[in-house]
Amino acid sequence: MGDGMLSKEYIIVIVTATIVGTLARLFSLKADLRQYPSYPNGYLINLFVGFIAAAVGAVALPALLTKNFTAITFLTVAIQQFRDVRKAERDSLKDLENTEFTKRGDAYIDGIAKTFEARNYISLIVSFMTAITMLLVKTKMVTLEILIGAIVGFIVFYLIKRYSKGKSIGDIADVREGKIEVRDSELFVDDLYVTNLLGTENGQNLFQKEGIAVVIYPRERHFSIALDNFGQRQAILFDAARALGVKRYSFTRKEYAEGRIIITFVPIIHDVNKLIESVKNTPLLESVKKSHSVMQTNLVGKE
Amino acid sequence: MSKNIEIIAFVTLQKEKVLGGNPLLLLAANEEDQKQMTQDIAKALKADVVKMKNGDYLVISHPR
Repeated sequence: MGDGMLSKEYIIVIVTATIVGTLARLFSLKADLRQYPSYPNGYLINLFVGFIAAAVGAVALPALLTKNFTAITFLTVAIQQFRDVRKAERDSLKDLENTEFTKRGDAYIDGIAKTFEARNYISLIVSFMTAITMLLVKTKMVTLEILIGAIVGFIVFYLIKRYSKGKSIGDIADVREGKIEVRDSELFVDDLYVTNLLGTENGQNLFQKEGIAVVIYPRERHFSIALDNFGQRQAILFDAARALGVKRYSFTRKEYAEGRIIITFVPIIHDVNKLIESVKNTPLLESVKKSHSVMQTNLVGKE
Repeated sequence: MSKNIEIIAFVTLQKEKVLGGNPLLLLAANEEDQKQMTQDIAKALKADVVKMKNGDYLVISHPR
């Protein structure tokens, strides 16, 4: 190391850690394909931001070791950039709201935007841990150092991914097909009133012939609190509508006696199994999730 | 929950219900005419229709 040039050793560390961190972003993008629209440019943008995050994580330790303390301030700049990623993702999804079959809703958009910000931190941490490992494990074989660094990086990635993985509707509720019935201009699913918006004969016939419905049954009574949330129901309806398409009408309805939730619409593709699957896979939104065990905890010594 | 539902038209067969003002109040000649008017307005404005228990129709719009 001399004249401000990095040594070969550090260059290998930085390059390896950056690659592992970028791969971590790539793998998390793949796992998240359902949430993320599959247009290639959005994919590329997130991959590139992930690469930047990985590079920042990779250079942090070599910068410290070469006494480039000012370089560490880049971390704060990077964090600001990742916050901007969240904002950009939120703005982009909000701009698309009027083009979708149904609205995603602010709660779902907030959840997706947060996830994208968090994924960049995963990249940063993974590359940072890879770099630390490679600097700690000193061997004569460079290949072995790279291998150990990459293995540790992927283990860290797996652990963080597992920790940050949220639940989905299928984890807390059962989803079954609902029976549609049109009585005059009113729509019922499994004998539960949904709407009276079917005022025309065309609408009534369309729903009776082509309508599709599912009923969500919470496994525990307290899960209703999350399921009843308007943002959560909107997210379920959005995922269902995106899976099958919407020809006309889309409704959600909640029932308080048993906590059932109804999702019904007239789809373009009539496939009940696909609908049930997409409802089950809808993420339980972070902003509406309530921890029942925490709510029962005796925090301040109350009887 | 922000739902700005707007009543676009009210279609009735009873003359005494037509008082003017907002929304548009329409008097139909008979049931067939009432159905057709309602359907035409709803189709043109991509709106929903509610048939009230008393036989009158409301054409309402939901913001997307």
